[in-house]
Amino acid sequence: MVVSFVDRCWRGSGRRGGVSVLLAITVLSSAAASAREEEDLAAGLARFALASGSPEQSLVHSRNLDGYPGTWLKAQALMALGQTDSANRHLQRQIESEHQRGAAALILARNALDEDEAAVAPEFFQIAARAGYGEVRQQALYELAELERLAGHRDRAGRILSGMEAGYWTALGYMNLAADYSKRDLNPARALVALRVALAMSEQDAVSDRNRNLRSQLLMRAGYLSYRNEEYEKAIGFLEQVPLDSYHTPRALYFHGLALTARNNHRAAMQSWHRARKYPLAYPGVQDAWLGMGRGYDLSGYLGQAGEAYLAASASYESERVTLLNLASQIRQDGAWQTLVQDTRDSELQWFLADSRTLTQPRLAYLLGFMEDPSAQDLIGKVSDLASAEASLEEKANKLEVFRGSLKDRLATPTNSVSGRKGSFLARLEILRDRLKGLRDKADRPARLETLNRSVMTLQDIEVSLEQLGGRLANRDARLEERLRKTEAVLSRIQELRSQTASIRWRAEDRLDAMALAFVSRHDEQLVHALDKTEQQIAHLYEYLALETLERGGQ
Amino acid sequence: MFTAGQVTGSVPNRGRLKLTGIFLVVVGYTVIFSTHATADELDAEISRLKADVASLAADVFALEESILHPADSQVTVFLTLARKDSLTLDSVELYVDDTPVASHLYTDREFGALQQGGVQQVYTGNLPHGDHVLKTVLTARARDDRYVRRESTHRFRKRPGEFRIQMSLDARAPDYEPEVSFREWK
Repeated sequence: MVVSFVDRCWRGSGRRGGVSVLLAITVLSSAAASAREEEDLAAGLARFALASGSPEQSLVHSRNLDGYPGTWLKAQALMALGQTDSANRHLQRQIESEHQRGAAALILARNALDEDEAAVAPEFFQIAARAGYGEVRQQALYELAELERLAGHRDRAGRILSGMEAGYWTALGYMNLAADYSKRDLNPARALVALRVALAMSEQDAVSDRNRNLRSQLLMRAGYLSYRNEEYEKAIGFLEQVPLDSYHTPRALYFHGLALTARNNHRAAMQSWHRARKYPLAYPGVQDAWLGMGRGYDLSGYLGQAGEAYLAASASYESERVTLLNLASQIRQDGAWQTLVQDTRDSELQWFLADSRTLTQPRLAYLLGFMEDPSAQDLIGKVSDLASAEASLEEKANKLEVFRGSLKDRLATPTNSVSGRKGSFLARLEILRDRLKGLRDKADRPARLETLNRSVMTLQDIEVSLEQLGGRLANRDARLEERLRKTEAVLSRIQELRSQTASIRWRAEDRLDAMALAFVSRHDEQLVHALDKTEQQIAHLYEYLALETLERGGQ
Repeated sequence: MFTAGQVTGSVPNRGRLKLTGIFLVVVGYTVIFSTHATADELDAEISRLKADVASLAADVFALEESILHPADSQVTVFLTLARKDSLTLDSVELYVDDTPVASHLYTDREFGALQQGGVQQVYTGNLPHGDHVLKTVLTARARDDRYVRRESTHRFRKRPGEFRIQMSLDARAPDYEPEVSFREWK
């Protein structure tokens, strides 16, 4: 376009063309530079809006941007807004370009898996592994290894994992491989080797939170497998490394006790179980630890204490069943979102005072257990999105109500009085100009002169504004009315969307409630089973004591 | 007691969900199929709703801008980083004519976006024509691990029409002293 314009100038201007062309080139290149700067600014604003959690604003800033980074920013914003189809179109264009090919391919592959288009996913993962760097490449390779593992090709999965760099994703891959081995092999040796590799790989992960969580899980699994393999020292070694503030701690403490019992160290075992009992019964391993205490006393020969421990376990299970009953009725009454998520959030108002004791809150424990299920995570995510959409719509409606009021007020203000004052403003302007002229004649220092010159320029600006005032006032009502119309239209759209959101949220919450109630019911069944076991143990104990008494009586 | 699967199972993944799906289809095709269809329908509805909310948010944003900040008296202040790794920005406060108008505490993600060329719109407001003073107070951790708080001022003349100021933050070796440069966009 620039070339054709210059060409036209050249042909059209004849001999005087040289000067015209130079002028045209200067004007056009400055216009092009300015357009480029505007694009850079829009891209920068879109990037920051995305990072600060405002994908809608990011889309507004990037709407006129083509190529990189516009397409990439749009794709990320659309993904954040859950508009996968539109995002996929931009991502497809991105992987055909030179920038962010790996990251775009990784998102496309995951979207394909989520939409049950598993056949195309490996191809995108391959692109991501080839074109991506760092974490993107490692994630793509991990996903490829997972696809192989799930298809039953564990050797191929192992080969992919062995080519990866040490870190979180490699560790996760080896952990899943170990899970497969432990399910298939009678001897847990292969699974233990994979877990050891995973532990070594996880050491290189720089992200501390996820690394801590993964390592706790790896250590707990390695401890359990070692215990099953009758390598009790090893099991104790692994389990003692599980940090005390982890979700896996109660279960690790229970296994620790089992390993100690196997080495006839009942006293130490009971210490571990006693610590596990401090956690809410919702955590895996705690139920068993309560039973373990009775067993520990029994094996140590303290039958009286064993009976007491079993009775205490039984009482604690009964009390937990009441808690579960209350939780279920609260879910039926207020919904799972309010009961499990909102109330748990509210109970942590003093989060800055919280420490590992947060793990001792039963409601949080049930929430964590519930969230182990990916479909529960997905559903809670959806309800959370809908709740924030509702809140944002309400906030927008409130703001627009205020705007509507202000626009109506402004429309009610007549413009005649303002236009009548224009003359007096111009007269004041003239007076100020005369004063400035007088002062400029007297100004002896450059600084003073500069100050006066700036005032002269400001007066010029004011004059320009006053000249434009008439035109602006003439258009004012039309402009305000148009904005009022737009505001009204947006408000009615908000109303529509609010009712749609409420209806969809109601349905999503309904499903969440059903899922949460099923979860609570499963826990209740487990408690019933544990109660049965406790009663059996108590019956055995009494039977034994009765036989002992009989024997003594016979002697 | 736990079963091996409970303790040593793989991390939950899509494959497992799919297997569960197949199992459920075998168990009760009709019932489960209708539930699955409802779930898909709900997903699609949520997705459509999200798109509508996003489009509405964009319209409201544009409308708000047009109502709140008439172009003739509008002033916008942007912040960018001149150098990627010279300092870690903690907070920025902005004063116009000694009146605090904006402040921001940065998250890691926001600072990362600035490092990658992001531009923050720190302030948008309306000012009368004439001379004004923009003061910025920033706190940051310099590359040599010093915690710094610096003030910079910039005098500008607001003229008719949209007026934009870009603040660019820099800290150069060897002393890594933070500097803010101002650029006016006409």
